[in-house]
Amino acid sequence: MLVFIVRRLFVSIWVFFTATIVIFFLATKVKDPLADARQLPDNTRESAMAVIIERMHLDEPFIVRYFLWLGDAIQGDLGVNRQGLSVNSMLDAAVSATLQLVIGATVISIVIGITIGVISALRQYSALDQTVTFVAFVCFSLPSFWIATLLKEFMAIDFNDWLADPVISVPFIAGISLVTALTAGGLVVGDRRSRLTVFGTTLAGMVVLLAALSATGWFNDPGLGPIVVALTALGGAIGFTVLVSGLEWAPPLKAALISAGLGIVAYFALGPVLKDPNLLTLLLLALVTAGVGYGVGWYVGGDLYRRNAIPAAIFTGLFTGAVIFLDRMLQSFASYSDSVGGRPISTIGASTPNYDGTFWQSGLDSFGHLALPSLALVLISLATYSRYTRASMLEVMNQDYVRTARAKGLSERAVVTRHVLRNGMIPITTLVSYDIGTVLGGAVITEKVFGWRAMGTMLLEGIEQGDPMPIMAFFLVSGGAIIVFNMIADIAYAVLDPRIRLS
Amino acid sequence: MTDAQRAAQKAGSEPGPEAAGPPGTADTAAQGMTIVARSQGQLVRRRFFRHKGAMVGLVLFILVVGLAVTSIGAGPIPGWWDKTPTATATAVDGGRPTLSVVPEFLGGGGVHLGEHPFGQDNIGRDYFALTMRGAQVSLVIALLVGLIATFVGTVIGAAAGYFRGWTESTLMRSSDVLIAVPTLLIAGLIGTMIAGRGIVLFGIFLGLVTWMQTARLVRGEVLSLREKEFVEAARSVGTSSRRIIFKHILPNTIGIIIVSVTLAIASAVLLETGLSFVGLGVQPPDTSLGRLISDYQTALGTRPWLFYWPGVFIILIALSVNFIGDGLRDAFDPRQNRVRD
Amino acid sequence: MSVTNPPATPGTPAVTEAAEDVHEARTLADSRPPSDEAILEVENLTVEFPTDDGVVRAVRGVDYTLHAREVLGIVGESGSGKSVSSMAVMGLLPKSARIKGSIRYRGQEMLTMRPKEQRALRGRKIAMIFQDPMTSLNPVRTIGDQLSEAVLAHHLVPRKEALRRAKDMLDLVGIPQPGKRLGAYPHEFSGGMRQRVMIAMAIINDPDVIIADEPTTALDVTVQAQILEKLLEVKDEVNAAILMITHDLGVIAGMAHRTLVMYAGKPVEIGGTDQVFYEPRMPYTAGLLGSIPSLDGDREDRLRPITGTPPSLIHLPAGCPFAPRCPLATAECTESEPGLTEAGEGHRAACHHSDRLAAADDPTAFFRDDSSPITESEEG
Repeated sequence: MLVFIVRRLFVSIWVFFTATIVIFFLATKVKDPLADARQLPDNTRESAMAVIIERMHLDEPFIVRYFLWLGDAIQGDLGVNRQGLSVNSMLDAAVSATLQLVIGATVISIVIGITIGVISALRQYSALDQTVTFVAFVCFSLPSFWIATLLKEFMAIDFNDWLADPVISVPFIAGISLVTALTAGGLVVGDRRSRLTVFGTTLAGMVVLLAALSATGWFNDPGLGPIVVALTALGGAIGFTVLVSGLEWAPPLKAALISAGLGIVAYFALGPVLKDPNLLTLLLLALVTAGVGYGVGWYVGGDLYRRNAIPAAIFTGLFTGAVIFLDRMLQSFASYSDSVGGRPISTIGASTPNYDGTFWQSGLDSFGHLALPSLALVLISLATYSRYTRASMLEVMNQDYVRTARAKGLSERAVVTRHVLRNGMIPITTLVSYDIGTVLGGAVITEKVFGWRAMGTMLLEGIEQGDPMPIMAFFLVSGGAIIVFNMIADIAYAVLDPRIRLS
Repeated sequence: MTDAQRAAQKAGSEPGPEAAGPPGTADTAAQGMTIVARSQGQLVRRRFFRHKGAMVGLVLFILVVGLAVTSIGAGPIPGWWDKTPTATATAVDGGRPTLSVVPEFLGGGGVHLGEHPFGQDNIGRDYFALTMRGAQVSLVIALLVGLIATFVGTVIGAAAGYFRGWTESTLMRSSDVLIAVPTLLIAGLIGTMIAGRGIVLFGIFLGLVTWMQTARLVRGEVLSLREKEFVEAARSVGTSSRRIIFKHILPNTIGIIIVSVTLAIASAVLLETGLSFVGLGVQPPDTSLGRLISDYQTALGTRPWLFYWPGVFIILIALSVNFIGDGLRDAFDPRQNRVRD
Repeated sequence: MSVTNPPATPGTPAVTEAAEDVHEARTLADSRPPSDEAILEVENLTVEFPTDDGVVRAVRGVDYTLHAREVLGIVGESGSGKSVSSMAVMGLLPKSARIKGSIRYRGQEMLTMRPKEQRALRGRKIAMIFQDPMTSLNPVRTIGDQLSEAVLAHHLVPRKEALRRAKDMLDLVGIPQPGKRLGAYPHEFSGGMRQRVMIAMAIINDPDVIIADEPTTALDVTVQAQILEKLLEVKDEVNAAILMITHDLGVIAGMAHRTLVMYAGKPVEIGGTDQVFYEPRMPYTAGLLGSIPSLDGDREDRLRPITGTPPSLIHLPAGCPFAPRCPLATAECTESEPGLTEAGEGHRAACHHSDRLAAADDPTAFFRDDSSPITESEEG
């Protein structure tokens, strides 16, 4: 495995190195960097041109310029742009916003896209599957800049306007409830009657919930409160047990419930710690949660059920943590919303300039700025992931070894989780490396729509001025991201598929 | 091509070769279900024309292309629409579209096109003519990119898959290098370099940097086909490599290639319009659907039709091509209906 | 996880057939005789698949009874419904299949069982071995994992216990170093060894019935005999009956107590294996027997293939489905489809002309057509 990783690393570095030559060559030819200087009046033209020629080494041949750049870049100096500004400081300002956008959008697309793909494959040819397929096709065909502009115009502005007086109109309640109920009904396995029951209950539940939320002005000062957190955690415990082992046996369920209970205790106990934590604290807490879940699963599961109890307890614990996290975020919403003039969803820029607040408030600030650009990117990638996952799952479900698994008498849940899912995910890992390039391109476009001054601006200005330094900086980050994702995908592949480790 | 991708193909996660057996095999007969012998081509055609999505896509695509080509004409040939994309005029009624589709008895303005069905822009140009011009440009570029990317990808993929060894590693490493670059970056660089030299050149160059996916697919297919008995038989009687590739292997990858063309066209529409939107694609005086949206994005609040129409046409083109591609994939790879015995 | 070189050959030496110890051949006569106890009763089973082209009538009324410890061979061409009917017994047909009739395991009706009850039998009381061992094992999970999973699906035991059982089973089917091989992946095994793993998987829960669907078709000829022998051996070990599905009469010959011949979704002849082999009463069976090559025969005994192809299961011809290919066919045959009628002690055949076959010295001779050269056999 180590040899495999090292070899992949070596190949990646070589590929990356070659790509820098290609991009540097194109970047030096893209436009005449002296174009505006040539337009200057006679008296200043010569000196202005001389300055630029000197700064960009335009008097040197291509190969010399490349090695000058490479020599500096290896030492971490990305040079100066045509105006003489340090590219490093430009990059510092730009890189975190763009990477947040790209990685956030990719992770969300992967998680949701794969989930949707799996569900629609398991319900092949159902109304749900057909709807998902159609929506995915439409999303495939959406130009990102067009949808981003629409989102900015309607989602952001209209949502902020609505927040001023958060009353959900009756048709809206009806619409949302209907869609949710139809989805829930479509997810249920079983005959028409059980589907109708689920549909009816969900519909009624949603209508009551939304009406109550609207009437109490919940959206002005949202939050879940201990009761909802507790109920959600217990629901999660049952849900994860069903996924991991089914409800036939008590120990896994018991482990999950204990895990949820510990989470609820932590909700109260950790109050002071969670008032204004930092990211590290939260990561540590997540780690502790996983550890505790493991322990609970180990002891409660005993010899017979350990395999099921441990994952059930860990997942439930992490899920409860996520619910508590969400609750904290929501509780800070009112104060954050006030601090930005009641318009939490931003349409301009990557963050509120000079914003200073608690961890939760700055979290909401990032969320408010990232939400719509991410949504625009997610809509498009999501379609890719869900389609490929569906196709891959269906392919695997047709395999002989799935039939063998059924012939053993495994339950349908076990067939899917142990045989179909893992094998179906293998080809998806390679898709990640392709998609990340598309998302990076999409980010450039989306950033332009939302007026971010980030990597996209740097690239577009670089190309506009025929200035290789910012272009190369953009490539170092984006190409680097592609290579890293590629490697992660390859390693995931090798972990999932034992056949690869041999060759 | 990375090791993992290569293994994905070995593992048979690519569409299997049984979808496209040697031409002329009746695959239903092989299943022992029926003895009605149909050629592979007939079967594919039949499945394609029975695919509802594909039919809707095909009709939509023909309509859009027909409208774009005939309305304002192409080159010296005049179209039936009496306005041109360049002629300016006074904007009537703020340039509001005159198209109406709601009949009078339903309380609408009746079904008619009117003087300016898609409205006019701020200098009074007819927006229908402009949109049609943009659609023509976007279609020409997309088709060029699709065809060239598929051609290059097929040749490179087939050569890499068939010859293996030194040829394969050179070709696949160069593909890796291109994959490591975001498409928008390299396409934007090239688009800007050849700016103003016409849309045909732009389309050709875009095709030259977007062939990697096709190459990967074709290579995977060729890798599995070259181990097949009929290829070994051809090799054993001394058939030349060239002949084996063109007569025995490529005809069997036709399904993948045709599907690749459609997917490449659909993504080329989005790539070109995206590039044009950020100013790296089609340059004035030419226009394209992406360029139109870029030009009029600030008009969304005041004259939304200037923003909507080109977007609608982008979606119509990409969606219809995607549907056609889906139908073709199902037609060439009918495993979903397979019944075992 | 380790990386081993060189890539051309798998790192750990694959278990090869050569490693198999040679022991005296085992035949059906050596194994324990069947009893009268009916384990599996299939009655008037029909299976139909709706497709775009029409309804495929894959199985059109199959009856048989499998007794304890018995080996019943089911022979037929592909498309004859032999596999579909056994998949129906396993409850593994796709949801679109329309199944009618009755399948009873020890008197319990399986077709009306709740899915959960059916699952409790599947792999526990009725196990299956599939044709292609290369694709029937999950490539990304270890052999031990896949074997122990079969135990854990039906028994509440610790994983360690299930793995111990898996190891015993691997030992039983003749896989050397079974403890070590539990951690191996399927691609590290040869085809014959994988089929042994499949056999181990089938017997791991002590089933009453093993359905073997063409268990040797995908294997090298040298390995086929070993696998068949191993099947007979483990059958006695776990005291199971075997439903042996094959298109190859040679497999049946030394293997089955009784044989059922299927054609176009229907049984056309059933009887003791010797009866079916030496006194076929249905021209199709005779034709199949005539298709077996023999080394010592003279010129007249050369291959006598059945010409033509099986009928479409969507548009079945009226009358006997075999009539278009049958040298004995008369007008009667194209008008009415014959039912199974008594042709001897426990021997039944579906043919209007059983008596003509009975009267002939060599029933296969009907298929001899001296005017047609042998090369035409490729058409069949």
